Amino acid sequence: MNEFLEHGLNQNRRKFLSKLSLGIGGLALGSLMVPGIFDASNEEDLFANVLPHFAPKAKRVIYLFQNGAPSQLDLYDYKPMLQKMHGEELPASIRNGQRLTGMTAGQAKFPLAGTKFNFAQHGANGGWFSESIPHIASMSDELCIIRSMYTEAINHDPALTFFQTGAQVGNRPSMGSWVSYGLGSENKNLPAFCVLLSTGKGNGQGVYSKLWNNGFLDSIHQGVQFSSGEEPVKYLTDPEFIDRGDKRKILDEIASLNQEAYNNIGDPEIVTKIQQYELAYRMQMAVPEITSLQNEPESIVKMYGPECLAPGTYAANCLLARKLSENGVRFVQLYHQGWDSHGNLPAEIIGQCKDVDRPSAALIKDLKQRGLLDETLVIWGGEFGRTNYCQGALSKDNYGRDHHPRAFTIWMAGGGVKPGVYGETDDFGYNINSLPVHVHDFHATVMHLMGIDHEKFTFKHQGRRFRLTDVAGKVVNEIIS
Amino acid sequence: MDIKKVNQWGEWFVWFLNPLLLLLAIYSEASQSNNVLLWFGKMHPLVLHFPIVLGIAIVIYFLFFPNKPLEENTEKLVLVGNAFMASMVALLGLFLSKQDAYDTDILNLHKWGGLSIALISWLLIYIKNISTSFKKLIALCYLLALLFFTHQGALLTHGENALSIPTPEVKVAEDVKIIDSSLTVYEKAIAPILAQKCVSCHGPEKVKGQLQLQSPEFIIKGGKNGNILNGIQNEEAMLLQRIHLPNSDEKHMPPDGKLQLTLEELTLLNKWVKAGGNFTKKISELAKTDSLAILAMAYKAPAKGSGENKNNAPDLKQYNSSYLTVNYLFNGSKDIEVNFFQGSFYKTEQLKNLEKIKDNIVSLNMQGMPITKEDLAIIVQFTRLKKLNLNYTNLQITDLQVLKNISGLINLSICGIEVNQSSLKTLLEKAPFTEVHLWTNHSSEKEFQQLSASNKKVKIIIGDNLDAEIIKLTSPIIDQDSSIIAGSLDVVIKHFLKGTVVRYTTDGTDPDSLSSPIYTKKLRFTKNTILKTKAFKPGWISSDMVQKTFYKSAIHPDTIYFVTNPDKKYAGIGAKTLIDYELGEKNFSNGKWLAYKDATMKFVIGFKQTRPLQTAYFNAFIDNGSYIFPIVSIMIEGSNDGKEFKKLNEAKFPSLKETDVVRENKSFSCSIPAGASYKYYRFTLLNIKKLPTWHPGKGTPGWIFVDELFLN
Repeated sequence: MNEFLEHGLNQNRRKFLSKLSLGIGGLALGSLMVPGIFDASNEEDLFANVLPHFAPKAKRVIYLFQNGAPSQLDLYDYKPMLQKMHGEELPASIRNGQRLTGMTAGQAKFPLAGTKFNFAQHGANGGWFSESIPHIASMSDELCIIRSMYTEAINHDPALTFFQTGAQVGNRPSMGSWVSYGLGSENKNLPAFCVLLSTGKGNGQGVYSKLWNNGFLDSIHQGVQFSSGEEPVKYLTDPEFIDRGDKRKILDEIASLNQEAYNNIGDPEIVTKIQQYELAYRMQMAVPEITSLQNEPESIVKMYGPECLAPGTYAANCLLARKLSENGVRFVQLYHQGWDSHGNLPAEIIGQCKDVDRPSAALIKDLKQRGLLDETLVIWGGEFGRTNYCQGALSKDNYGRDHHPRAFTIWMAGGGVKPGVYGETDDFGYNINSLPVHVHDFHATVMHLMGIDHEKFTFKHQGRRFRLTDVAGKVVNEIIS
Repeated sequence: MDIKKVNQWGEWFVWFLNPLLLLLAIYSEASQSNNVLLWFGKMHPLVLHFPIVLGIAIVIYFLFFPNKPLEENTEKLVLVGNAFMASMVALLGLFLSKQDAYDTDILNLHKWGGLSIALISWLLIYIKNISTSFKKLIALCYLLALLFFTHQGALLTHGENALSIPTPEVKVAEDVKIIDSSLTVYEKAIAPILAQKCVSCHGPEKVKGQLQLQSPEFIIKGGKNGNILNGIQNEEAMLLQRIHLPNSDEKHMPPDGKLQLTLEELTLLNKWVKAGGNFTKKISELAKTDSLAILAMAYKAPAKGSGENKNNAPDLKQYNSSYLTVNYLFNGSKDIEVNFFQGSFYKTEQLKNLEKIKDNIVSLNMQGMPITKEDLAIIVQFTRLKKLNLNYTNLQITDLQVLKNISGLINLSICGIEVNQSSLKTLLEKAPFTEVHLWTNHSSEKEFQQLSASNKKVKIIIGDNLDAEIIKLTSPIIDQDSSIIAGSLDVVIKHFLKGTVVRYTTDGTDPDSLSSPIYTKKLRFTKNTILKTKAFKPGWISSDMVQKTFYKSAIHPDTIYFVTNPDKKYAGIGAKTLIDYELGEKNFSNGKWLAYKDATMKFVIGFKQTRPLQTAYFNAFIDNGSYIFPIVSIMIEGSNDGKEFKKLNEAKFPSLKETDVVRENKSFSCSIPAGASYKYYRFTLLNIKKLPTWHPGKGTPGWIFVDELFLN
């Protein structure tokens, strides 16, 4: 049945009853009214017939979110000028009065901090990479590096929320939820949107479940967070004395009770609940087979690094992401915490890079060798960048960097993006010189790669049609192959 | 009766009826009438004539007798009467509209039209004092509305051609909708379900289990096990049993791999059989609220073959299952992509079933499916295939020769299928492929690169072969959250890589690859133990060592109190935090920690009798990113009166280096000279008073975080 329409009609019915109770006069008649039948055409099916709007380049997304904001200046955006001017004051003409966070706004000085790392160009497209990420650098020819990303938020929570939902305030649907809503699940035994978390040793920032929230969409579209323990989905195994058949019977009975409750109350969340139980039942069969890392050949283990066998690590999550993705999960969202290097950046970032360098590169290689990279979009990036000036005390080779939303680097691979370097920042890495890409543009582009016209993909809620890109966003055609 | 009073009552009624009317009309889709209201509704065609006649009369009166008004009360009586009648008629009409499946477009027009008539007639009561010409205009509008919208009503009840001139050509009314409720439940819902999901095996063409389901006669006759609708009373009808068995059950119907019943269809069959499995009962004979009637009304048999899709492409729903998705590439495309998931559920029939749409399939993903040459023979029929994924299937490279017959197949993935240079060369000869993905244990990149170089047309993508690369193992995982031994404690050590040997020591020495014991089963500790463990595997660099200290908590002090208070933010549950057997793990703000920064940590423990101590262990947290540094020193003093303390021992600990990135729990201990035995012991734990210059917080004090004290 059609939840969206039903939901709408139920709203009407509720409003109707409440109006009646206001005493307009039909109380007596109101009691004679019973919940209606809704034999309208199936609106969601209609949606499914319309989407994708055009031929998708990417069928699935794996988003490697680097939570806390990695320093673009120490990884991808090479600025020899900063090294030359190490310790000198950030020119006012560059900062141009731009607001800073409360953490450094009070600083008397803004000494420029050149990166401590050596940079080199890799691959045919001439992308610069720091020595701390040799494996990612070796994949240069696959990467579409956007050095001109910018965002509006200056602190973690709003910036993260903005990247994930297209709005800085919470309660909008996450990207993955939109994709789940629009394209549905490929494999009916797995959620369309899965979330995997890991933590690095660097200074961490929290991730909250609102980031993979379904917002106003049906809750069947919310991201399913996998546990970082040995069982990625907990309580999947049946107790010894209950067999599959019994479970089926139990679920059927519960479903009929729920159906009854739904008939009486009409809350669409009840229907969602029934669907969720069914999904969980099917996941019981699917998940252990898919998430088992035991059968991965040793070569794969070496590729991702042996940490990939330790549950809850970034490497394990990358491997799991590949397995979920190849089994039809539309959107796999990873978060790796620990990039918020306000101080002691060189030491912290080495640890973070150790966590993510090898697995991130391995994921691309692995997808490629399986012939899946062309249909899977891999995204790597944080919520904003880091400042070119030092936060706290600057020494010869130790520094910290504050939040910098004006220019930072992310990269994408596979899924129909064109490898190369896009956009440019100024010599100080502070402002964007050419081809700026806003978060909305990024969203529009990802949607486009998935065959969705972001302007037509809407959901009506509280009297207004919402989009992931709100009222903005331009597809960056230059990075699409 | 006083005419004024009649007018008054009438007016009240009109004021009551019209808002109600408006409300019901707006929310009419959501509401459903019951029998009483329907019965009232049936009076609509009867009552409607009154306001039409009255209305026309009023129009004539307004148009032609503007200067010869009726007596005031009489005029009002006519107007109020008209308004009352009009709203009543509209109300009854709304009730009636629920009864049958009328043409929705006309119905809507009539509904809102009728409503507007009621509203205008309501308005007419109050236009006494406006100008005559304006009055005339309103009257004219009223007349037009009256004629037009009531005509729509006539169309509803008497058909589209009610008032048109009869034409000699007798047209069969194609657009007259079949009124679903006049069908039987069996015709409307049950027969289509059976036809789509069952009859292919239980029908005239195939008669499995001697059962045919194409018509009531055969259904009643049943199969080899007798009547399938039997046992209705105890809900054990064979039909219901079979469809409700779990999919994995051999007797489940439809069989696994065939198109399954939807939840809606299951419910329909269930309710229909439980209601007696009646073949003749019409939907209209059931109560409107009967769920079987509701479901049957709402059931739409899936379109067969041609029809709904814009481009006349076949409907793909029937091909999809939980383990198989079949989709058009995008809306409007005729090209189909097919993905199989989860090899353990694969059945050849699923692939065979796709033969009907074989000319549309351009992309096929069979990764991980246990397929054979026979399956391949089916795949070869998909002549428009461009992309084929056969990774990790059970095929041999020699089996793949047949794929060359698919002339458009350009992208082939065969990871995990054993290949060598010569077998691949044979496969690529005169092959249509332009991109081949492969990976095996034995693939040597060089060999294939040569092949690639000599065969410019094909891009061969070889996965990394890292057999030769030697990398470091990960450390074993000590799987025991607690580090406190109360009586005894079992400790499990884990390593996830196959073939890894985990060795350990408990004597404080570092484990080596030769003499240290090999971990085989869980360890049981009963006294203070430092567990050190390390993983080894041939061809790998052995792992880093991990260690964890387990504390026997032998002695529990009788009292404990602070000399200096901890920071307010991290005060735990007071001094007892140190002896509550609860460790704070890696979250320093969870209230299980005591922290000091500006003050030096000082506290006293006391016993009722003098008590000798050997060692005191403190569990502390270190996180230099958060300004939490190791304990600098621990001093222990003893006293018997709690006032005069005598220094017993002091232990000092190294600080951090600039390159350290530490975020961990660590144990700090201080021993007490033998022979010392006191009632009271005072502990002083020094934190770093000035952070080193390399630290962002240089010059300011660092924190110490302590959550537990163990004594023995």
